[in-house]
Amino acid sequence: MTVDGWFYAGLVVGGISTLTCVAVAVLKKAPNDITLLSVAAVELFLIVYLIGSIVRTATGGHIAGEPWEFWGYLATALCLPIAGFYWAILERSFWSNYVLAAVGVTVVVMMARMAQIWYGPATAALAGITGTATGTGQ
Amino acid sequence: MSRTSRTGRPGASSASGAGNRTTAGSSSRTVSSSSAGTGSDSGRSSGPGRLLIAVYGVFAVAATARAGFQIATKFSEAPVAYLLSAVAAVVYVAATISLARKGAVWFRAAVATICVELLGVLVVGSLSIFDAKAFPQETVWSLYGRGYGFVPLLLPVLGLWWLYRHRADSRRTGDSA
Repeated sequence: MTVDGWFYAGLVVGGISTLTCVAVAVLKKAPNDITLLSVAAVELFLIVYLIGSIVRTATGGHIAGEPWEFWGYLATALCLPIAGFYWAILERSFWSNYVLAAVGVTVVVMMARMAQIWYGPATAALAGITGTATGTGQ
Repeated sequence: MSRTSRTGRPGASSASGAGNRTTAGSSSRTVSSSSAGTGSDSGRSSGPGRLLIAVYGVFAVAATARAGFQIATKFSEAPVAYLLSAVAAVVYVAATISLARKGAVWFRAAVATICVELLGVLVVGSLSIFDAKAFPQETVWSLYGRGYGFVPLLLPVLGLWWLYRHRADSRRTGDSA
């Protein structure tokens, strides 16, 4: 699987969010500013990724797989932090932090799948290098 | 917290569902205000249940999207596998809803759908190994859910265990467990 800067950024943001939420949950604390902000950071990252992906395709970036599958994944991923926030805030127990923790790791898995769709499953390295060189523009 | 108080209660098995819940709720609140149940009238969707329902929800969305994509784009390649994908999606959606709803009927619905789910992951998982040609690795349940970190295998076991712990919920209107 080809991975790019976007995936690593998602891995860091999602990973930190999940670890933070698990740590706070282990301390038996209800969702607080720290865990909610970490989930908000995941949402923010996804919005940036959405804008970045629109820019990449607009400037000639090519999605190897089905484009609508990619956008479907991205749209679903964008809903996750909101759904997690909603579901967690309904009951403010420490268990809700585990729910929030599930958001980050799920987004990381979906980022991996989106990278797979973007670069194609097997064409690997070459497409990835040219893709990141022309596409990310970060 | 609410977990231990609920099972550790000596009269838990004989107490009626409603009485058991209220006492468990009040005792857990004294233990820790931050981790206490919020007094919702069904412990099933509370505490660990919320995480369980959340994970079921993720799988419901994932399986539905995947099955929809497979059927829309390449149904003729492997109709059986993709129909099973759709069945898995329906099962996850049904399990998510029935776990989140309150009451004895939904409890039984949850038990039934999760049993179907366990059966599905075991049968499809086994078939995908012994008859790989008919089951390309394209469903949530293939190879016991290896593509999803074996969570699909773990989920029904946890789900049934969780429902067993909350079997008192089902005694409100009738007795079934």
